Amino acid sequence: MREEETMSESNREIHELLVDYAGALRDGCIPAFLKSLTREEAERIASSWEFWDATEVSRILNGVGFADKAVAPNVSLFISRVDAEIASRLKKAKASPHGKRPRRFASQKRSSGGARSVTKRENRTEKSI
Amino acid sequence: MNKRLRNALKGITAPDVERRRRAMEPFVRATFGIFSRYLYRYLGNEVECEDVLEDVYADIWENPERLRNITNEKQLLRTVYLYYMRKRLREVYRRINRNLYLSQSNLKNLIAPEISALEMVSRSELEQNLRQALSKLKARERRAIELWMEGASNRAIANELKTTVGAVKMLEYRTMLKLRKMLCYYNRED
Repeated sequence: MREEETMSESNREIHELLVDYAGALRDGCIPAFLKSLTREEAERIASSWEFWDATEVSRILNGVGFADKAVAPNVSLFISRVDAEIASRLKKAKASPHGKRPRRFASQKRSSGGARSVTKRENRTEKSI
Repeated sequence: MNKRLRNALKGITAPDVERRRRAMEPFVRATFGIFSRYLYRYLGNEVECEDVLEDVYADIWENPERLRNITNEKQLLRTVYLYYMRKRLREVYRRINRNLYLSQSNLKNLIAPEISALEMVSRSELEQNLRQALSKLKARERRAIELWMEGASNRAIANELKTTVGAVKMLEYRTMLKLRKMLCYYNRED
């Protein structure tokens, strides 16, 4: 009984959880906040509509107060990263032609109505002749 | 929507892959600020923001269908969030959810929730409304939120307000709920 009491005392109240969430969001350490949650705290969060309402405001305060920090001064460097990612996806798509294909090819294949098998058969007959 | 963004969108939705790739640069330049500010609300970390955005832009290049009939900035942000950003955000947090007590659905709601009308308001409008709402608060409540927004710790806020850390946490929580009520007319409009 005494152990249960001490356990419940160590769990944070909903207002403390909200403030900790808002602080983690502000400081960029949400993973640490999520890992710090105990089972009881997670249940408390799940059942509190006030918590969910307040998280919306904390996100907005975070956006208004700190979002400018997130704008990197060198967008050109970021653009080259995006271009490299696109190049790697293009390379992958070329390397595996049977993988992801553009939709128009898929529809062409479907509309041909088994044409590939017909040509295969034709080839076979040509060989036998 | 400004001309630069409109032209960038036109290039990004072209059927030719190489043309889309060339159009990526003006598109990123026109939208990077908008998207990263928005993502920061959920991640609170600029490095994570850039990592997620890199995948988001590559996804847009690969499948830009959803951006074909975009007419304004709000619609663009909403579409990109719902169809490209949210999926990536959830992936980021699914990775760290293996040993957590929070259920997957609650984690989703916490990290990448359904988009609300309040969160769709433009930044300038939001700032203006927030300033108005803050001016209606009691001096002590306003000071606590202002200090928090300046980056002060709860201990520093407690010292400033000459109270305890526990009292500051309760004050911040109540003030956030109060602000939520003040700003809730956006959701009613929705």
